Amino acid sequence: MNYIEILQAIIFPGVLFTIGMGFLFDWLDRKTAARMQGRIGPKITGPSGTLQPLADFLKLLFKEEIIPSHADKTIFLFAPALYFLAPLLSMLFIPIISLNPLAGFDFDLLAILFLLAFAAFVVAVLSYSSASSFTTIATGRLVLQYVSYEIPMVLAIITAALYSKSLSVEGIVASQNKLWNIFIIPFAFAVYIVALMAELEKPPFDIPSAKTEIVAGWLTEFSGRALGFLKLTKEVGYVFGSALAVSLFLGGGLGPALTGLPSWILYFVYFMVKLMAVGFLIFVLKTSLARIKIGQATELFWKILTPISLAQIALVLFLVQGGILVAS
Amino acid sequence: MSDPTRPVRKEETAGLMKYSAENLVPFGPIHPALKEPEYFKLILEGERIVEVIPRIGYVHRGLEKAAEMRPWVQNMYMFERTCGICSFVHSLTYGQAVEGLTIYETPRRAKFIRTIIAEMERIHSHLLWVGLMGHWAGFETLFMWVWRDREIVLDLVEAISGNRVHKSMNAFCGVRRDMPEGMEDRIVERMKFLVERANYYKEIVDTEETMLERTEGIGKISADMAEKLCAVGPMARYVGLRNDIRLTDPYAAYDEVPFDIVTRKEGDVHALLKLRLDELIVAANIVSYAVQHLPEGPIRVKIPPVIPAGENSSHSEAPRGEIFYYVKSSGGRTPDRVKSRQPTMANLPTALALLKGQTIADVPVVLTAIDPCFGCMDRMSFMDLESNRQWTWSGEQLRQYGIRHYFPERAKG
Amino acid sequence: MPRRKVGAAIPEMFRTMIEKPSTQLYPYQKVDLPERFRGKLDIDPDKCTGCQVCAMVCPAGVITMVDLGTRKVGDRELPVRRPIFELATCIFCGECVDNCAFKALEMTKQFELATPNKDDLIMKKAIAK
Repeated sequence: MNYIEILQAIIFPGVLFTIGMGFLFDWLDRKTAARMQGRIGPKITGPSGTLQPLADFLKLLFKEEIIPSHADKTIFLFAPALYFLAPLLSMLFIPIISLNPLAGFDFDLLAILFLLAFAAFVVAVLSYSSASSFTTIATGRLVLQYVSYEIPMVLAIITAALYSKSLSVEGIVASQNKLWNIFIIPFAFAVYIVALMAELEKPPFDIPSAKTEIVAGWLTEFSGRALGFLKLTKEVGYVFGSALAVSLFLGGGLGPALTGLPSWILYFVYFMVKLMAVGFLIFVLKTSLARIKIGQATELFWKILTPISLAQIALVLFLVQGGILVAS
Repeated sequence: MSDPTRPVRKEETAGLMKYSAENLVPFGPIHPALKEPEYFKLILEGERIVEVIPRIGYVHRGLEKAAEMRPWVQNMYMFERTCGICSFVHSLTYGQAVEGLTIYETPRRAKFIRTIIAEMERIHSHLLWVGLMGHWAGFETLFMWVWRDREIVLDLVEAISGNRVHKSMNAFCGVRRDMPEGMEDRIVERMKFLVERANYYKEIVDTEETMLERTEGIGKISADMAEKLCAVGPMARYVGLRNDIRLTDPYAAYDEVPFDIVTRKEGDVHALLKLRLDELIVAANIVSYAVQHLPEGPIRVKIPPVIPAGENSSHSEAPRGEIFYYVKSSGGRTPDRVKSRQPTMANLPTALALLKGQTIADVPVVLTAIDPCFGCMDRMSFMDLESNRQWTWSGEQLRQYGIRHYFPERAKG
Repeated sequence: MPRRKVGAAIPEMFRTMIEKPSTQLYPYQKVDLPERFRGKLDIDPDKCTGCQVCAMVCPAGVITMVDLGTRKVGDRELPVRRPIFELATCIFCGECVDNCAFKALEMTKQFELATPNKDDLIMKKAIAK
């Protein structure tokens, strides 16, 4: 029992750090969207509004929890906790302060894929258990969207794994010390970003929780603590999705070495800079696009993105076999 | 088929619901997509709408009856408060209807000022609508930008009349306040800026891929259908009918100010967006022209508080369509009967016809496409859910009901 | 037919990000109002003669005249009346201001009239003396 490892897992860079990053991403999201629209964004709570997401979360914890009479009480009370665990556990597999993540093992990429599918399944069950007319529509849209985005996302992740010849995140990061993966498989990165926006339900894919059409989609009947944790989970999922993109395609925390600084600080700083860059890319895309309909989203994923990701895999394998690229 | 312990809704036993209750999605009365409450029952199959059953009357205020008890001038202020977005046109049409009963003429300068304020109201209403379309389509950025530009018009109106929404500028046979000194250059410059912004928004609406997917091909109706359903305003012009009261029956100063009428042929929501932005540009040009060619003269003719007997009607082009007022006087200090018919009432059958066959994601977009203002439109009607009967009351029946309700001793006799 | 593209609004978004935001930080910042702004009513008690015209033209029934006794003019006893205003009902139309022949009424620029106490909004300045 190494006490340092336990402390690391709980505080930094484990659970509390991830939750703090979730709040930070929420604040950045609201601030940049506001500035791009000519507004100010959060301002009063904390210096320049940085404590606003924490204040929103705490307020929700104090509110009364109302459960509809014909909803399934067990699922209502316990499933949000399951949903919260999925991205939190997955963050333990990402190397943040060194090349060894907190809980990595040889096939942890498969564990990450399983947790992604598990999270979507829990959401479908949550949405179906609150039986009202709006959530029924939202469940249909949710499952349809999940079926559409999962395949391109998994194919994009597998492309990085195939090229780096490793099924653990640590191995993929370590294999990028000469050249980042994004220069070899840029289309996989683009497909991954689009599929990530569909998973996080950010515009143009926020169809299952469309605020102006079906009240709040699958979030409609939740209130109080459950709503607080569901919203927090979305933010943590955002952090995790960007962290995965950074590890698989942008080389994790690897970068040019500078003397005089301990290696973990350097690693951490590079990782954070890349994380912010990916987050900023998604902020810009999210603010500048309208919401499309579910039929059009399905068409986009099946007709355009899946063929692109398949073509990308074929291209990479062909180039590696033909000796033009050297597999690392 | 149905479980006997499930509570049975009244609508199911009547013939009002031929479909099972599981397919019913209640849109309203309180919904994020509606600014004002109205109840639309949507019968869905999957995501397609099969039928829409409307139920109105949630914001009925009884203004027509209240008008019978107030002097003529006070009614001007009351009808101004029917709606916030088209408030000036209400008081303008009512004023024109009453002025037609008197022998006095409105001075020319007053007519020009009325035109300026009416067109500024059209600009602000259309900007509000474009922002709302962005909001329902999920495009929050367009919503924020358009409403930021709307503040320009509202500041101009505030500088002229003292208030942003209820302008209180109209009086019988004139306007109450003159244009302030030095406003001319400011107005012309701001109108030029607004025309630039409107052109930019037209470009965005034309090229942004996600916005086009939300608005192209939605809400299509043929020109004969629109004419049969009596669509007014932009809902008639977006299928190619040239209906504009400013051209066909000019009021205020529209016969002296040159402008074009805007029509489109495609007949979908994307055409409506371009149509209203074009109308905005036309309105900005009218304001610039009128401000620079204001004639000199008095702004008001004072008339006695007793209006001679007779009946008159007047109509005008509100931002939403045709507003129609009918006034009946028997020579007293209060009117005998005032009736107002708002454009949303005329466009509601068109909206219901447009909704059939769309998906539920299109409902806010299509309902907002007619630019609804349910606060203006509301009416009262009677429904018996058990026997599926609908009827309305005449004026005399309403009066008898009032006597029975408030003076039961008198009714028994 | 213009070219369709994704993210047509992005250049303007970056331009807006660099400019000053167009939010007015009310209530931390004062809002500047035009001079014709119609705010709370104010009466100059010295100019008011009690002619009742304002009470007759008010559309909302805000103004009531209060009997303050009589005064002698020559050998006649004339009644003295002054108005009190229930400003909670006022619709800020300005009819009373326009119709006062003695210019005793004016509309100030005060618009923050919310109060938990309804008596704050009854203006009795004209009967104070």
